[in-house]
Amino acid sequence: MKRVRRSQVEIEGKLRERTEVVEEDPSPPWDDRARLRVAGRPHPRLDGRAKASGAAIYTQDVGLPGMLHARILRSPHACARVLSVDASAALALDGVRAVLTQENAAAIPWYGGTTRLLERTVRYAGDEVAVVAAEDEETAEDALHLIRVRYARRRPVLDPGTAPRGGKPSVYTRGNARKAVSGAPVVVAGSYRTPAALHQAFETHGSVARWEGEHLTVWDSTQHIFGVRKELAAALGLPLHRVRVISTFMGGGFGAKNECGKYTVFAALLARRTGRPVRCLLTRAEESLAAGCRHATVQTLRLGARRDGRLLGIEHRSLCDVGAYGTDGPMPVGGPARTLYRCAAVRTEEVPVRTNTGPHTAFRAPGYVEGTFALERAMDRVAEACGLDPLEVRLRNYSPGDPRGFRYTRKGLRECYRIGAARIGWRRRARLGRRGTSLRGLGLASQVWPAGGAPPSHAVVKVNPDATAEVLIGTQDIGTGTRTVLAQIAAEELSLRARDVTVLLGDTGAGPYSLLSAGSLTTASAGPAVRAAARDARQQLEELATGLARGKGGRPGPREVCREIGDAMVIGRGARGPNPEGLKACSFGAHFAEVEVDAETGEVRIVRYVAVHEVGRVVNPLTASSQVEGGVLMGIGFALLERRIEDPATGRGIAVDLLDYKLPTALDLPPIEVLFVPGADPRATTIGAKGLGEPPIIAAPAAIANAVAHAVGADLPELPLTPDRVLEAIARGRRAP
Amino acid sequence: MRAFEYLSPKTLEAASAAVRTAPEGARIIAGGQDLLGELKERIATPGRVVSLKAVPGLRGIREESGSLRIGALATVQEVAESPLVREKAPALAEAATSVGTPQIRALGTVGGNLCQRPRCWYYRLADFPCLKKGGGTCFAVEGDSRYHAILGGGPCHIVHPSDLAVALVALDASVEVVGAKGRRTIPIADLYALPAVDASRETTLAPDEIVAEVSVPAGARSAFRKFREKLSLDFAVVAAAVALGPKGPRVALGGVAPVPWRSREAEAALGAKPVTAESAAAAATAALAPAKPLKNNRYKVPLACAVLRRTILAAAGVADPGPPAPPATPAPTKKAGEDF
Repeated sequence: MKRVRRSQVEIEGKLRERTEVVEEDPSPPWDDRARLRVAGRPHPRLDGRAKASGAAIYTQDVGLPGMLHARILRSPHACARVLSVDASAALALDGVRAVLTQENAAAIPWYGGTTRLLERTVRYAGDEVAVVAAEDEETAEDALHLIRVRYARRRPVLDPGTAPRGGKPSVYTRGNARKAVSGAPVVVAGSYRTPAALHQAFETHGSVARWEGEHLTVWDSTQHIFGVRKELAAALGLPLHRVRVISTFMGGGFGAKNECGKYTVFAALLARRTGRPVRCLLTRAEESLAAGCRHATVQTLRLGARRDGRLLGIEHRSLCDVGAYGTDGPMPVGGPARTLYRCAAVRTEEVPVRTNTGPHTAFRAPGYVEGTFALERAMDRVAEACGLDPLEVRLRNYSPGDPRGFRYTRKGLRECYRIGAARIGWRRRARLGRRGTSLRGLGLASQVWPAGGAPPSHAVVKVNPDATAEVLIGTQDIGTGTRTVLAQIAAEELSLRARDVTVLLGDTGAGPYSLLSAGSLTTASAGPAVRAAARDARQQLEELATGLARGKGGRPGPREVCREIGDAMVIGRGARGPNPEGLKACSFGAHFAEVEVDAETGEVRIVRYVAVHEVGRVVNPLTASSQVEGGVLMGIGFALLERRIEDPATGRGIAVDLLDYKLPTALDLPPIEVLFVPGADPRATTIGAKGLGEPPIIAAPAAIANAVAHAVGADLPELPLTPDRVLEAIARGRRAP
Repeated sequence: MRAFEYLSPKTLEAASAAVRTAPEGARIIAGGQDLLGELKERIATPGRVVSLKAVPGLRGIREESGSLRIGALATVQEVAESPLVREKAPALAEAATSVGTPQIRALGTVGGNLCQRPRCWYYRLADFPCLKKGGGTCFAVEGDSRYHAILGGGPCHIVHPSDLAVALVALDASVEVVGAKGRRTIPIADLYALPAVDASRETTLAPDEIVAEVSVPAGARSAFRKFREKLSLDFAVVAAAVALGPKGPRVALGGVAPVPWRSREAEAALGAKPVTAESAAAAATAALAPAKPLKNNRYKVPLACAVLRRTILAAAGVADPGPPAPPATPAPTKKAGEDF
């Protein structure tokens, strides 16, 4: 039975009121007493072999008979008016089949209606100007160079400090923070900066589009097949049933693939125009210019505390450079300040400013990574000012519930601290020091992230005559192991092995709706739906067993039932139930880093790393560990290396390949110890699990910065911690009394 | 990538002629690790590409009358792994080990490494018509110069990207080249010229001259050190090579100048006396004294100083007691466009 209710849901750190259609899920939650055989145990990825061997077909691998290749012409100017586009020479090139320009492309609204698919004003270097479809990629690329565009250049806005507001600031208050901070005996104030960072998923953004009569099929590298279907259908004026979106395997998105991209619409328009399938993939340079970023922040922070380290007030203001367009608004940079510690007086403000740079988008725990860096750096300074150990200060400000006035389903942060501190040997911290030019430091940081999942998510489970099963669900596996985890959950309920279950996902034509794979939602949303569907199937099998029971043969087992009923198959149906009223489900974590800083060169080497998380039940410890390692890796990149770089005069991206945009390599990584707080969170979801997608990146930059600050004896106000900044901090540390 | 004609002649002389007679320009390809990127980005648009693959006898590494002779097509990995190089020219082996990634080392060649084009982001992006591409501006001056030259710059401020060249300058190597006028042998330092001479290129080779072999005097004590921001797939922020041979110390720096930078100041400071912690520090300071950093790369001065000091000590086998006094403090480097 479906019903409607008003509900508060927190996705990607943003709290929203919404009307929710909910369907109660009668499954009794798997608590700590549940004796599970498959869920909660390590299981290798069911698709691991296919991925490692190259058999798995990603969007990039889709090749269709007669397929054309599209390439996009992008503005080299950060701000300009397009006076004319002359594509005649490109169209005359042998092998070119079509060129889309502002003159012949439909005026489809884009970026929330602030521009159109192809428009006369370009607002960042990388903005789309024209698209070519040709027989092969090289010809399409050649054709781009034959398109003559006349631009009237305008002076770009590149300095966020003087940039215009890009929308309304987002303000939160409880108590009187200004008064509380100003009156506090200990005040720590600082300004912290984080750079624009790029997602750099292995698989670049891209789509392949094919029309069959009035029906459009699109293969897309996306985190939300149903979202792409909806946006694409709206853009093209099609009814939903004529659009099918497929994402069977996906090479990472990290928030940059939550929506329908222009490239998808280009592929569909060009395919319709030419009557041929069209593939439109971004190059690595385009991926660096025009596929979103974590927006840069300048955060000003004031903490007021008592002399015993207890917080009295927090004031946090962040200037967020949302780039051109940036219709998502500022990310919740103030989230950690609002929710990580017990503090009666808090004011946070996120101010969006608009520059002529590539628009931002969600990026793995958007806002929280940046905000945690500033807050946790400042908390270490409170500890220092009060003569306390940094861990002790965090324990003294521990908030058992959400300090905005909600209770948590469970909060295991205290256990994270305890486990991590013991593992890394936190008590050594006071004894670490200088040996020659080597400075040692230990740092920690804490993490909170809303990760309880949400409805709607639906699943269907088909049980075959040979007692194997298929799960149909409209979610997608963005590389996290969703396919395996959902198979484990279905197998648990059906008393099967995980490899007896095939999960068919990533196809709007096959599975019912499930939420986007973002906001650490997937396991906690799709997981319970699959369990409910599998449970429904199991109950049907049990009822049939009763009906089939006869004489001395007795009651048949499920395997016999399947065989007996044959093609009159059992089909289970299930939906994700509502979230518990009045409770918040969050994932927690604490990260600990030990670093060695070269006092002469500013080089930072991470020598040990311990990551502890509380996410309720870990459905698959193998894929969960991979998730944490990947998150820490990404956090190390953000802490030490990565930043989008524009030429300060023109605003053009200049670090657009993987040589200049510096991702950490295997050699740059320390051994990462991954630990989980044991136990389920049965109040959060019926499978006792919460989300883990984003949490592992959140605390990493802060933990590393705190360790480096401890080593050099000075604050580190800006990421990444490149040698120039570390050397400068060392010099400041030396001058300090 | 622009379409091109591909030739694979059997001799260096024929390869040189193939370059000379190309109507729309030609480029030599060996391992292709640098050229392919340039072709794809249309930084290089030759009408002809001449491969050296079919030329025999360019691969080996051998010792001949007190010198290591390394063929231009020897791969960087072969140099890194060669027991001969490791024993007789350790700085070169260390430099080779630090290059790129295993994949790049497996394909990249010694000749290609010496002749590779700079990594300057303004040079590598077609949208910036910089001096090196025949334009009128070095965009690094007003732009983002964090990885650019602190020595020998102007009017173009690239840094030379080759690690092998830095080691070879310290080791006093020479290079045999083949061109229209036959073969000639030049000291490695003379292979390179500052942009003040010709900003459009880094070497002194005529367009049809091809590096055939590198000759390295064997046996000097030597060391190479490289500072980079990550430990694989990264070029030197600064590098240093030091050789202590019979003719006195030779010191070279990488990542700091448009050429592999020989520091006669450092060599003079070291003199003929045995290296000590003090003389190493003094030599490093002397090497960086003429530095003229740009807007964003002041930090490279103390960094290069530290790397060079350590390299000198490593070459001499002297234990590192740490820097003598607090290292030079870089002035705050506020980057244009970042100050919000």
